[in-house]
Amino acid sequence: MAESTVLNLILWLPVLGMVALALAPKGTDRAVRGFTFGVMVLQLALTAWLYQRYDSSVAGLQFETRIPWIADWGVYYHVGLDGLNVLLVALTAFLGPLVVAGAFTAIQKSVKLFYAMVFLIQFAMLGTFLAQDLFLFYVFWEAMLIPMFIMIGIWGGERRIYATLKFVLYTAFGSILMLAAVIYLVWSQAEATGAVSFSFADLGSHPLSFGAQSWMLAAFALSFAIKVPMVPLHTWLPDAHVEAPTAGSVILAGVLLKMGTYGFMKLGFPLFPDATRAVMPWLWTLSVVSIVYGACLALVQTDIKKVIAYSSISHLGYVMLGLVSLDLIGIQGAIVQMVSHGLVAGGLFTMVGMIYERCHSREIAAYGGLAKILPVYSVFFVILTLASIGLPTTSGFTGEFMALLGAFNAAWPQYQAGQALPLVMAVLAVTGVVLGALYMLWLAQRMLFGEVKAPHQPVGDLVAREKAILVALVVAIFALGLFPQGPLAKTELAARDYQQRVLSSRLPEAAP
Amino acid sequence: MNWQLILTAMLPEHLLLVGMLAILGLEIKSGRPRDGFALAVLFTTAAAVAAFWLYATGFTGAPFLHHFSVGPVASLPKAVLLALAIPVLLISRDDFAETPYYTLVLASLYGACLIISSDSFPTLFLGIEIMSLPVYALVLLGLMRAQSVEAALKYLVLGGAATATLLMGIAFLYGWSGSLSISAFPFALASGDPLALAGVALVTAALFLKAAVVPFHAWAPDAYEGASAPVTAYMATIIKAGVLLAALRVFGTMPVVAPVAGLIAVLPLVSMAWGNLAAIRQTSFRRMIAYSSIAHAGYLFYALLGDGRGRWEAIVFYLIVYGLMNVLAFAALPRGADDERQDRLDALKGLYYRRPFAAMMIAIAMLSLAGLPPLPGFAAKFLVFKNVLAAGYTGYAVAGLVASYLGLYFYLRVIQYMFMAEQEPTAARGAPRRLAVVASVLCLVPAILLTFFPGWLIDRL
Repeated sequence: MAESTVLNLILWLPVLGMVALALAPKGTDRAVRGFTFGVMVLQLALTAWLYQRYDSSVAGLQFETRIPWIADWGVYYHVGLDGLNVLLVALTAFLGPLVVAGAFTAIQKSVKLFYAMVFLIQFAMLGTFLAQDLFLFYVFWEAMLIPMFIMIGIWGGERRIYATLKFVLYTAFGSILMLAAVIYLVWSQAEATGAVSFSFADLGSHPLSFGAQSWMLAAFALSFAIKVPMVPLHTWLPDAHVEAPTAGSVILAGVLLKMGTYGFMKLGFPLFPDATRAVMPWLWTLSVVSIVYGACLALVQTDIKKVIAYSSISHLGYVMLGLVSLDLIGIQGAIVQMVSHGLVAGGLFTMVGMIYERCHSREIAAYGGLAKILPVYSVFFVILTLASIGLPTTSGFTGEFMALLGAFNAAWPQYQAGQALPLVMAVLAVTGVVLGALYMLWLAQRMLFGEVKAPHQPVGDLVAREKAILVALVVAIFALGLFPQGPLAKTELAARDYQQRVLSSRLPEAAP
Repeated sequence: MNWQLILTAMLPEHLLLVGMLAILGLEIKSGRPRDGFALAVLFTTAAAVAAFWLYATGFTGAPFLHHFSVGPVASLPKAVLLALAIPVLLISRDDFAETPYYTLVLASLYGACLIISSDSFPTLFLGIEIMSLPVYALVLLGLMRAQSVEAALKYLVLGGAATATLLMGIAFLYGWSGSLSISAFPFALASGDPLALAGVALVTAALFLKAAVVPFHAWAPDAYEGASAPVTAYMATIIKAGVLLAALRVFGTMPVVAPVAGLIAVLPLVSMAWGNLAAIRQTSFRRMIAYSSIAHAGYLFYALLGDGRGRWEAIVFYLIVYGLMNVLAFAALPRGADDERQDRLDALKGLYYRRPFAAMMIAIAMLSLAGLPPLPGFAAKFLVFKNVLAAGYTGYAVAGLVASYLGLYFYLRVIQYMFMAEQEPTAARGAPRRLAVVASVLCLVPAILLTFFPGWLIDRL
């Protein structure tokens, strides 16, 4: 009981914060920053407490709240933690205070509105992860768009209007078709059982014809694949990332991209298992294309932010690969990789923001030899680079290695059965690791070593606030890399459930 | 005649009538313009309360059998419509000091009430005419510029064409069924008889014309642009609602059969797509709202594809949300002496940095009209498309959703202008008007409540 109250409090704290900000008088920017940070820290503390209380030996939902919201339509305000979302909720809460602290000096214009938007995004993201009702999920899913639109559009770079409109119009197109599929799914369920329900638990059971499954999977997948993003639907991401303010990039890379993979894991694949299995070869191929193509594009960029943006596409390809491998290790690897990517890419974008604040350039060519003038910055940059490459002991290793292992586990028996494609794809996916090492190390080499170059000299090294942000991220990265057992145990039962559901069939029984 | 029944059942209408007479009488007596406004607000509020009271008590009765009847199904839309008129009147105060304005608004509201309660075609016809005629004058009133004259004339001519079409349709239906009762309409729909279908098509076309559905929409952008802001708000909410309630009245509760579904779905579908696309090109705020209202007429007619009770629910809920949002946008819109220049979308640039609360409210209105969750516009659109899908028209529903997506861009552009563009140095910096603030709060509070508790209203419909 107490736990579910805390969970609701975690979810609604940002809304309370937003109301407080709306009432704050003008000229209180310092207080606004401190207040927002305080609320985020409180949220993190509550989440940490709840995370400790989460029982990994219990399957299904924990700390549930379920109250009627629109009784007429069978819509409930239904939130809870399960093995699939517990780590992502923890990640969102963890990044919250870091995003806020990272923007203390970068954001000087309309400070109140900025933090209100951070609160709103935080609320929508947590809500999307926690929702256990399809209507509620959709509402939260769409509610993320507007604050992000405003954040990129007001505080973004030069081409911000173009980038932000592209981001919103892309993602909204996916969602509108998903909405059609949502309504169709719910009403086919209502026809089968006689009661309208949006509950995830109720929507997974009634029989669906293969055709219906295919159409709905296509609609859901379009929406999720745009969000991930998977090649070839990725073109909004580099623009949005490059033009977004640092905080926006961190939120985008850290949490928002995981919405897509989470959607596949929670809804897309398990709801339409037969259609999913039928398109498996496509899913494998698209995942690996995302890995390799993203990495290749990252290799040739001249803008630091773009390198990391394209590396995100590549890294999320591993998540997709782990999910479609349908191997327990691969699935768990996918979940860990989501968290790991949130920490690492979030950290890298934060660091790009830090150097941009000092030198006002994101061109790789403008920098060189930073290790000599910014030693502390360089140490952190190297650590994050190595984590991004997936060096053992960092979280990146745990995630990528498990996802790849799962892919090979799944591909080998298929190869023996005469199916060569998955094995080829798994081998190709490994080249992504090599390419990843190449572009990240090359980036670090060009920026940190060689002749000293920086657009604005002298450049001051990191201040205490920035160090604290990075220390927190690095500690989390190593914690997940060295001691993954705890988090993995929390995901195990849910991963098994996902595996089982995607492997089962929900086609109508053939008439005897 | 049962005088008591007539008095009770028509209480909202009587109150409007008394208000109208009182305003006229006062003008003759004193000529003080201020009283017209106060009386109009007073009597409209009283009429709204009366209609709501009829709804709450579940009053049912037919003071004029087969012509005019009252039941909860009619009383609630009446209450909604009259309640929406209150904020519209509040934002009119600064533009219209003349008493005729208020008399005309009350007369038009009277017509809308007649529509909602009509049982026969003559009553419906009277209602539509009484509702529309004052508006031709309203478009012209206040600002006597060439544009308004053109707008009023266009509106008048096309309104006249709609009237003729409607009468022709009624004549055909009468010829087919020998009855002037509205309840004959669904049977004509189902009959498949050419004469009956011609009547149905003509009546539907007249309604499309009045509601500005493509290709009968051309008058709307000119009329909306030519009129002054409060009149535009009135046309976009009350008139649109009145026509849609007339359509609801005519189509009744019978489920539509497949061939007729094409009749009431294809043009509204085109309307959604075209309204949303054409809105992108507009540089005038009121023209943009006109195209937005053309698209919204499409969604509203779509709701007729659903059946029975769901149809009424969807249209009433949609009209509440749509009306609130339109009035909110107009109430929050900064106004200045130079109406024409203020109407340019460019005038909104940088509004957030001048008038943050006005910008916030316009943003809420735009996002809700775009149907983005969690704002109530989403629940309204969801309800419509849910009914269309549940009735089995999957293709129409998907096409409609895609058409609604096309509208996202121009609504976002308003927000982009207000929040992300440099303000023009010439932009008006006037302080917000007190009555407009009251009106926007009146719209904002229910909008926020509906955002968090849409179920409260939906469960009660």
